[in-house]
Amino acid sequence: MNFNGTFTQVIDEFVQRVMPSLVVVRGHRFGAGSGIVWDAAGLILTNNHVVGRRNPVVILQDNREYESRLLARDPNVDLALLSIDATNLTPLVPAPASPRVGEMVFAFGHPWGQRNTVTRGIVSALVTAQNRGGEKLPVVRSDVPLAPGNSGGPLVNAKGEVVGINAMIIGGDQSVSIASSVAIDFVRKAIRNGTAARKNEARVPSDVI
Amino acid sequence: MSQNVLVELSDALADAAEKAGKATVLVNARRRMPASGIVYAPDLILTADHVVEREEGIKVILADGAEVSAQVAGRDAGSDLAVLKLERAAGAIAEVTKSPARLGQIALALGRPSAEGIEASLGTVSAIGGPIRTGRGGMLERYLRTDSISYPGFSGGPLVAADGTVLGLNTSGLANGAVVTVPADIAWQLADTLVQHGRIKHGYLGIRSQTVDIPEASQKALKREQATGLLIVGVENGSPADKGGLIVGDILVGVAGEPVLHHDELFTRLNGEVVGKSAPIDLIRGGQPQTLSVVIGEK
Repeated sequence: MNFNGTFTQVIDEFVQRVMPSLVVVRGHRFGAGSGIVWDAAGLILTNNHVVGRRNPVVILQDNREYESRLLARDPNVDLALLSIDATNLTPLVPAPASPRVGEMVFAFGHPWGQRNTVTRGIVSALVTAQNRGGEKLPVVRSDVPLAPGNSGGPLVNAKGEVVGINAMIIGGDQSVSIASSVAIDFVRKAIRNGTAARKNEARVPSDVI
Repeated sequence: MSQNVLVELSDALADAAEKAGKATVLVNARRRMPASGIVYAPDLILTADHVVEREEGIKVILADGAEVSAQVAGRDAGSDLAVLKLERAAGAIAEVTKSPARLGQIALALGRPSAEGIEASLGTVSAIGGPIRTGRGGMLERYLRTDSISYPGFSGGPLVAADGTVLGLNTSGLANGAVVTVPADIAWQLADTLVQHGRIKHGYLGIRSQTVDIPEASQKALKREQATGLLIVGVENGSPADKGGLIVGDILVGVAGEPVLHHDELFTRLNGEVVGKSAPIDLIRGGQPQTLSVVIGEK
């Protein structure tokens, strides 16, 4: 049985398929984080805490750099939606259901600034975390090694579907990702409530022209 | 993506966690955070002794979320195992592995530290060792180590093979806080004894000894290759050894038909069913093999 070859090949194909949807989100003051291509027309999802106070720069896999526009941000779910003037991007698809404890997950991101890193683990627990507003937020805990710079990047299942947005590291060996259901809700609201999104956008100072 | 080996492996791991998770319970018997336990028989939970800090008001939360009261049926600090008896049957019983753990195999550590659900981490069996003296005055014939992460509250929970069967019980209470796994065959056997007797009997002979090489001539006379034995350098007055006729200068080479090469092995052989019974002790006395019957005492 050519299991070894097959397995390696499958992992390779898997990584090649997901990687084009991973971007760098570079704030102006702090280090870079990660981001996810959410649709082909230039929507980028990342963590709110990665964005900082000004519109960050988004760098695609082919090294094209874009000045982004902040469409929406919500510190309560630690998510931000950016838009860049690019088309024909390769988006990731959110998983249709919440993951199972024990299933394999992979984090794509730029830990400690190391570009395009993939780390592996399993879903450790499906729990809730209390956000700043005191609300309970569904999160995916995993044993995937994460480090600063992974923030805003995708946690994907073995099919390459997004199960979470990597957000926090607890005590070095427990990683927390915001459940993709939260991300779906956030993006839906942001798009539906375009006026609010523009208001949010207006609050962010523009670059010096 | 279509079905492939990666997806199959991922599904198999989730299936294993789900299957074993049904027999993994929360054990609330201490002040700080709860720990885990394994459904060992319909109304019995096997857990780590060190997480049972109180014997009254013990609560167990089952996989279906039901909270059931439990009492201690038996416990042994030396092996860090305890059996709890539930007020009612729990449901799914853990399935024990039929093939012992192998170095390098994939294993999931499972726990149920909170009522929110099962928790898991993935690793491989990184070492199989033993016998070791435990930090709690016992002796473990064999133990497993893994590189999986043991989250808080995982003590008492199972180490699970990729097919969802239980390889052993994880505990941080045996090796100065480091997590080791008590292999399922040993844990289940000790659990049977705990259910029957409420405790593990630790045997007592009343000798002091040191490991010595056995001369080749004596090995021939013994009719087996055995490099070392225990030279008896002291016999306590009135002890089981004294009553059985053991004297200083004898080399102890076996207990109840099993060879004894080191102190640790003697320690192991004197535990359990042999206690209180007459057991044949194999000796070399004056270069010749000899067997005496000694009634093994209890510590």
